[in-house]
Amino acid sequence: MERSKEKGMAVTMNPESTNLLEVKHLTTEFETEQGTVKAVRDVSFTVKKGEILGIVGESGSGKSQAMYSVMGLLARNGVVKEGSMLFDGHDISPLSFEGGLKAYDKYMQGVRGNTLSMIFQDPMSFLNPVLNIETQLVEPMLNHMKISRKEAREKAIELLRQVGIPSPETRLRQYPHEFSGGMRQRIIIAIALACNPKLIIADEPTTALDVTIQAKILQLIKDMQRKSGSSVMLITHDLGVVANMCSRIVIMYGGKIVEVGTADEIFFQPHHPYTSGLLACVNNPEEEDKELQPIPGSPPDLLKPPAGCPFVDRCSCAMRICKDYMPEMTELSPTHRCACWLEQKKEVLA
Amino acid sequence: MNEGPILKVSHLKTYFGSKGGLFSKGKVVKAVNDVSFEILHNETFGLVGESGCGKSTLGRTIVKINEPTSGSIEFEGRDIVKMKGAELKAFRRDLQMIFQDPYASLNSRMTVGEIIREPMEIHGLYNSTKERDQKVSELLETVGLKPDHIRRYPHEFSGGQRQRICIARTLALNPKFIICDEPISALDVSIQAQIINLLQRIQKERQISYLFIAHDLGIVKHISHRIGVMYLGSLVEVGESNSLYREPMHPYTKALLSAIPIPDPRVERSKAAVEISGELPSPLDLPSGCAFRTRCPFASERCAKETPQLRQVGDRQVACFLYEK
Repeated sequence: MERSKEKGMAVTMNPESTNLLEVKHLTTEFETEQGTVKAVRDVSFTVKKGEILGIVGESGSGKSQAMYSVMGLLARNGVVKEGSMLFDGHDISPLSFEGGLKAYDKYMQGVRGNTLSMIFQDPMSFLNPVLNIETQLVEPMLNHMKISRKEAREKAIELLRQVGIPSPETRLRQYPHEFSGGMRQRIIIAIALACNPKLIIADEPTTALDVTIQAKILQLIKDMQRKSGSSVMLITHDLGVVANMCSRIVIMYGGKIVEVGTADEIFFQPHHPYTSGLLACVNNPEEEDKELQPIPGSPPDLLKPPAGCPFVDRCSCAMRICKDYMPEMTELSPTHRCACWLEQKKEVLA
Repeated sequence: MNEGPILKVSHLKTYFGSKGGLFSKGKVVKAVNDVSFEILHNETFGLVGESGCGKSTLGRTIVKINEPTSGSIEFEGRDIVKMKGAELKAFRRDLQMIFQDPYASLNSRMTVGEIIREPMEIHGLYNSTKERDQKVSELLETVGLKPDHIRRYPHEFSGGQRQRICIARTLALNPKFIICDEPISALDVSIQAQIINLLQRIQKERQISYLFIAHDLGIVKHISHRIGVMYLGSLVEVGESNSLYREPMHPYTKALLSAIPIPDPRVERSKAAVEISGELPSPLDLPSGCAFRTRCPFASERCAKETPQLRQVGDRQVACFLYEK
């Protein structure tokens, strides 16, 4: 992190803080032919040291774009309009970065793959098909760490062994097409772990895999997290996956965070109508079969998002105020927050 | 209600040849390898398995998109493998299919009206375009769309709405049997439940039988009366859905069930995982005997030598030597 001082970054070190990542008022927009898509609208959340945070939302909820904003990996037409992002005491927001976009990109290249690493959904398009596994594993280590090629190779073998790839010495020389989908995802996890990252962002890491393989990969991510003590942000649409993995859960809808809480709070005391709706429309095979309660309608068009709550058109408890004004976050417990006018109403009545 | 099964599949095999090179012999992919089962009138039969187990090929063979290598498929007592010409066309009216990807299975240059009307025109149902359009409006309403959507194009609809259009198109011919090949896996969670409920309502109203193919056992258990579990081209277990979920018998079914993530943190914390080792063998090179033996914790010598057949054990059919005396 000496690099940041050279570049004149604002460093606000606070060793006492338990927050590894603090994102405040993040707003990200995309310019398209049809107009401006407001993909992420005023999103604030934190990732604590050593926790697995789940971010749940449907497609178009802004969950992935919020993460790409943090990583500095937005598509060319995407811009962070507002917000601050504090990662491990360093400001990594492109807005407050001095020295222009090019310098920001260069700086983020030093952060990504180093203290901040990623696991993506599709293991095939992540790996380079014309490079062998060794090259792809050793490269980030040579780039980010003061380490010789020989040491890096030894570490690569050790990493492959850790993620459960048999006979790593020979497998190291093979190419991605020689591995199955589950094995490829293990290799990607090994690459993500190569530089001992503090935060791993996993974007739908098991969606492309079969259930039996999914169970193993999730267990692996959990074990690795426990061993290394790093934090994990798990982005998914699958409530079953977060129930198994996460200590805290963020629910996103229409570019906004609607509810945050511990896994128990989200699953057993959901307060936002969207959260309870989402829980009612997934089938829990452990329980007796009952009719699924779907949420009527479809998600809002983010080209012209509603002024008020994004869920208003599909909500069974919608009031007049919901259409025009976005509710503030209400604190329900030290860990549980929810953005709904119903909570504010309860407060006023109490 | 008719007696007997609406669909009876016996010893069905669908093989795909892979061409050999100059020096190597061609290999054969046994996508469906000796599968037998029955589906009753007004019943939903769920077919689950991991990718590459042959469940989609089985569905496609039943509608004759793929030709079977051997075996028979009887639909209402008539063998459809040998059907040709007018007889086949008539049979296709009774048996329709819903595909996984509602973005790929609708022609983007046709309006919704044209898409739903086309099967009626091909089969010469109703006398005039006016009558057909009347029917199209009815169908749109049945699947929860508005009649004025008739003149719109597929790109104006979301994924869930497109799947509704696909369902309306299959219903245009009043089929008795619909094969649903992963009809909800391309959709968002909150939309999936809408489509599942729609399929169940249609079944109640029209007495249709479903073959419901999916990899998500949780959803399959919800919608199906009976479930068949497939592994590498063969059925390993068939049973009533609740009973199969509560007490899986085949080692593969057990592993598959334990791998489903349950949306309940308490269940997840107390769950003991059933380990299966290794990965799916290549379908080009199936293991001898039981296909699952390379990953099975209970595999014995016999499993390598003989192939277990589906056998009645209690309320269930299981293909495993553990349940043979």
